[in-house]
Amino acid sequence: MKKKTRIAALVCAGLSPCVMAQSIEGTVLTQSGKPLVGASVELEGSNIATKTDENGKFVFSNVRQGNNEIHISAEGFSHLHEDVQISGSQSVTRTFTASRSPIEVIDVTASPIHLSSMESAMPVSVLGGERLRRQQSATLGDSLEKLAGVHSSFHAKVASTPVIRGLSGPRVLITQNGLDVSDVSRVGPDHAVAGEAATAQQIEVLRGPSTLFYGSGAIGGVVNIVDTRVPTNGDTQGEWLVEHSSVDDQKLASFNATSGVGSFAFYADGFVRDSNDYEVPVAPELAHDDHHHEDEHEHDETHDESGDFTVGNSSEESNGFTLGTSYLFEQGYVGVSVEQFNREYGIPGHSHGDEEGHDHGHDHGDETEGESGHGGDVFADLEQTRVQLLSEMRFDDSILAGINVRAGFTDYEHAEIEGGVAGTTFENTTYELRLELLHQPFMDFNGGISFHYKNSDVAAEGSEAFTPPSETEMFAVAVMEERHFGDVLLQLGGRIERVTMNADRLLLPMLDAHPHDDEHGDEGHDHDHDHDHDHGGDGSITRTFFADHEFTPVSLSIGAVWDFMPGYNAAVSFSRSQRAPSASELLSFGPHIGTRSYEIGALFALEDHNGESEIGLTDEIIDLETANNIDLTLRKTQEDVGFIFNVFYNEVDNYYYQTNTGLFADDGHNHGGDDGHDHGGHDHGDDGHDDHSGELPVYIFQTDDVVLHGFEAQVAWQVTDEFNATFFSDLVRARLKDGGDLPRTPPVRFGTQFSYENNRISAHLDITRYQSQDKIADFETETDGYTLVDLAVSYDLPVWNNALSVYLNARNLTDTEARVHTSFLKDIAPRPGRNFSIGLKGYF
Amino acid sequence: MKNQHSLSLITVSMMSALLVGCGGDAETTIIEREPIVEAPSDPGHGGGGSGDFLIESQGRLAVSSLESNTLSLLDIDDGSLLDNFALQFDGTRIATSADSRYAVLVARNFDTVEFLDGGLWREDHVDHLHDYEEAPEMSDFVLTGSRPTHVSADGNHLAVFYDGDSEAGIPAAVHVVSNSDIVAENDPATLEYSVNMHGVAKPKGEFVLSTIRRDDAESTSNTKILPDQVGIYHNHDGELELEQVLDLTCPDLHGAAVNHEFVAFGCGDGVLVTHQHDGEEFEAAKIDNVAEIEGTRVGTLYGHEDSEIFVGVASSRSTGVTTVLTVHPEDNEMEVLDWQPLENAVPVAYSFSFDGAHFVILDSQGYLTLLAMEQHDGHTHLEFEGRLDITELDVADMPEGASFRMAASKNDNHVYVADPMAQHILQIDLESLSIEGDMELDFIPASLVWLGIAAEEEHDHDHD
Repeated sequence: MKKKTRIAALVCAGLSPCVMAQSIEGTVLTQSGKPLVGASVELEGSNIATKTDENGKFVFSNVRQGNNEIHISAEGFSHLHEDVQISGSQSVTRTFTASRSPIEVIDVTASPIHLSSMESAMPVSVLGGERLRRQQSATLGDSLEKLAGVHSSFHAKVASTPVIRGLSGPRVLITQNGLDVSDVSRVGPDHAVAGEAATAQQIEVLRGPSTLFYGSGAIGGVVNIVDTRVPTNGDTQGEWLVEHSSVDDQKLASFNATSGVGSFAFYADGFVRDSNDYEVPVAPELAHDDHHHEDEHEHDETHDESGDFTVGNSSEESNGFTLGTSYLFEQGYVGVSVEQFNREYGIPGHSHGDEEGHDHGHDHGDETEGESGHGGDVFADLEQTRVQLLSEMRFDDSILAGINVRAGFTDYEHAEIEGGVAGTTFENTTYELRLELLHQPFMDFNGGISFHYKNSDVAAEGSEAFTPPSETEMFAVAVMEERHFGDVLLQLGGRIERVTMNADRLLLPMLDAHPHDDEHGDEGHDHDHDHDHDHGGDGSITRTFFADHEFTPVSLSIGAVWDFMPGYNAAVSFSRSQRAPSASELLSFGPHIGTRSYEIGALFALEDHNGESEIGLTDEIIDLETANNIDLTLRKTQEDVGFIFNVFYNEVDNYYYQTNTGLFADDGHNHGGDDGHDHGGHDHGDDGHDDHSGELPVYIFQTDDVVLHGFEAQVAWQVTDEFNATFFSDLVRARLKDGGDLPRTPPVRFGTQFSYENNRISAHLDITRYQSQDKIADFETETDGYTLVDLAVSYDLPVWNNALSVYLNARNLTDTEARVHTSFLKDIAPRPGRNFSIGLKGYF
Repeated sequence: MKNQHSLSLITVSMMSALLVGCGGDAETTIIEREPIVEAPSDPGHGGGGSGDFLIESQGRLAVSSLESNTLSLLDIDDGSLLDNFALQFDGTRIATSADSRYAVLVARNFDTVEFLDGGLWREDHVDHLHDYEEAPEMSDFVLTGSRPTHVSADGNHLAVFYDGDSEAGIPAAVHVVSNSDIVAENDPATLEYSVNMHGVAKPKGEFVLSTIRRDDAESTSNTKILPDQVGIYHNHDGELELEQVLDLTCPDLHGAAVNHEFVAFGCGDGVLVTHQHDGEEFEAAKIDNVAEIEGTRVGTLYGHEDSEIFVGVASSRSTGVTTVLTVHPEDNEMEVLDWQPLENAVPVAYSFSFDGAHFVILDSQGYLTLLAMEQHDGHTHLEFEGRLDITELDVADMPEGASFRMAASKNDNHVYVADPMAQHILQIDLESLSIEGDMELDFIPASLVWLGIAAEEEHDHDHD
């Protein structure tokens, strides 16, 4: 930033459309009167920015007349906004005093308005720096779960995604540098996010409706993974890390580096991670009488001789690299990057039992051996290529202050491999463009207009292709503005979107769904054989449709932050957000092993014909989901004790969710071990080992009005310069307006984080208590509470200018059984047992 | 929480007041398309599948070349050439296996029957039907015998009749293979005669009706190489066991056809029709020749599973006149079929449509005549329905040795006509009687067969 600014100032001098004789000279001091070195100083609404020198001084020359808003930020200090009035051709000298902030404050990148945990009307969290490195995990969900308001869907460590205020899936958008990650993680809980924390610079979380910034998929929140793959400066810097973890024998190595030559900057990152099945303190399968899960685990647990338990098929292997380059010029930069991301992971619980169903092609007698040993293990192999073009430019034009361009192309493929054969393949090809035009301060408003286009072509093929291929196109225009009125910062915005979703081949099969008459008693699941062969001689007819949807969601948001006394602020934010339902919510019709259910989209409805259940097209109008949300925030931003309290109340009308029909349907590829199916003449070696699978409960998407409310609280006390104690808690209640609770809602949570940091050593002790969850949906079971204790110690080695440290991260020190209520796999995959990770990291 | 809650409610109503009227729009358009019909493959099973395993394909065509021993496999769905196969033997004729998966390559003069896997097939996985689409390939399965001549199939079995060779003293024989025998390359069920003959064998459920040539002294045939009796052979476990010989003779037997109930044989004195009576013995009747075909006889028969009537062809070698007749086994009746031929039009190919509801005649002048099954007073007729001109070229330019050829789809209402002059194959929709498309060839087609996944209805009666 530094370099760019100096050049820009020169250019401005040369062009000089504005009167530019004035200058601001500032000194930034800490409360104890010491100069604050290296603080970022920005002039709002301009491209002018610099850093303070060793005396805490900075100079902005050639500033414009009138009000100049200065924004100062530095690590460990709260951000400072101050107005400097300049009249005539004077030079102003000012001293700014920055206050310590016991809560880390990092700005959200690339937003036309200010977003940070301390300053914005809507609640934001950013995980960056050392804290990110400490908490990073193999999955995004597990990396972020210590942030207030964010839980992990803990999918056996392999495919966990973030749950924000109880919402996930198609309501939480995952982005990489502001562009959709474009994987299929929003469709199924067993699909991993195609993003990596180990090479990220920071991860930003917008809690609550964020459709204003990102559109339909962000009604519950946004997680943005930020890295510098398109570098904004050519300074040579980077970091690297190697680590080994005991619980799953994980080996991790990662690096990222930036450098530059002349006007060109270069970036590279890469990572490799390899882990085995992870150990758990107890038998992974919960021995209670929940029959939904009983059939799946033949292969999911092993109990080796030493008495250790592991969650079977939970190993993971991934690697990726990114290369980027950018051209730096006076007004900004433009650059491109290419990323290749590969990940292979086992899917626990995703076993199909009798695999012979897929062997029928081998009738020619040459492949009869060697197929039956794979059992039911399924693993996913995902691959993604991502190209991003990013550019930011700042101008001294009389209207236009800057242009931000973000363009992306992603090609994603994900195969679920069963017994060596690709069972289901998911593909997602996405083109995306975001163009932001920032205007010069207009009536003291800063902000801009944003144009956003996205085209996603999603297809699935194979036995689990429960959603037909569809193409979704989105175009949106949004305006975001902010303005200071004295002590009040007003932030507002609106976005209008047009979403079209076309599916050429929507299928409505004749579903052989039937209730299970037997009580869920001991005999469990022998229904298979009662139903398989009694369909008479009727043929089945699959009705097919063209289904075209056109949605025009509108989102509006208005919020204010009032610095009602020094060091405190109160914020309120109202938003009305709309979301177009996703393809899987509307169009699905088929077995989804990831959720162990037969999923039917909202375009269909259950009808009753003379006591027989039949699925037909719905008579309901397919409408937008609308969230009316209010957020209240109270913050203390300075001095030794700081806090952030958020309460929210979110009424979601027309909330799309799945309800259990009480029916069961065939999973589409299981033959129940019946000998009569032996077409190819080869033996079904393991016949009968899994007689009960092949039946899935039928869930259908419907809409209802839902209320979500809750709070997040963080209190931090900087006891001494070295010692910090933080307390946090969060709660969300998610219920249907007409009664009943939504499934997989996070339980109440509270915890403490003690940290000690001096020049050499840092130590962090986190104790988190998850309460039991008894607010459950009909088909759910209650989940017990648990307490996790984590300890992280890092020591900077006295070599290479302290740029090398060795660290030890211990997680779940008490080796407790922890089952995650938000997880689809809570009954078969608890959290890992006690784990020690030891590693070495360096900076340059 | 309670206080916050009520506070929130107040603010929400404020917000609603602020933001009311800014609701978005949602519009859904759903248009129904042709459904995918999945028929059961076996009564008592089926249904339930979600359709994931079915392939929608119009099928493939195996087209032989007039000039070279090449068989080309075409994909009808996109008109592409899938592969070319060099045929080992001159004069190979092409038939299809019972399930239309294989092209059956009959090299009469080389005593060999080969099989080419068309690559499209369906398996019954009991709880669902499973379709496969693979590249076509030659099968290793080969049948050998002296002079394989007539090949016929019902829903599940293929019978090859080997005429034998009197000069070499080799008697006639029959091989019967099921669809799965071809896949598994199992040995065929075999019937060996003691004398050669130009005969025919017809699979019919668990039976095979095959011709019997008696001693020349006993035979009622004028041409002694033609058999005059029909034997009912029971097919079990690879053996064909003679269970019954029909009392009624069929002198100069030539030509045979099957429908869901009857098997018909062309005889010098009429058409012999036989069916199993109440699950026991086969009983037979003779339908006498009509006066219009005096001096000749029905020598070729066409049948369809779902058609009550057979179509017979009587042609006189001396006069060159070809008469098309309908044969009604239920009514014991034969009638001349007035297909309203144009001048000089001689039929060159015949076929039932896939569902048996139509019969088509392709003639030498390049016209396709469509005849429909009509019911009058419980009596089924074929009535002229329309005619399609399939070429604009002068049929006088027909390359020597070539003629128009036709193959009917077994899963939809299309027939495919090979035009040697234009060197293309026309896709003709029988419902609209119009040309829907063409596939260009870079060779002169000699003959063609349709391969693919047949619609299942036509086999329903097999399990009676």
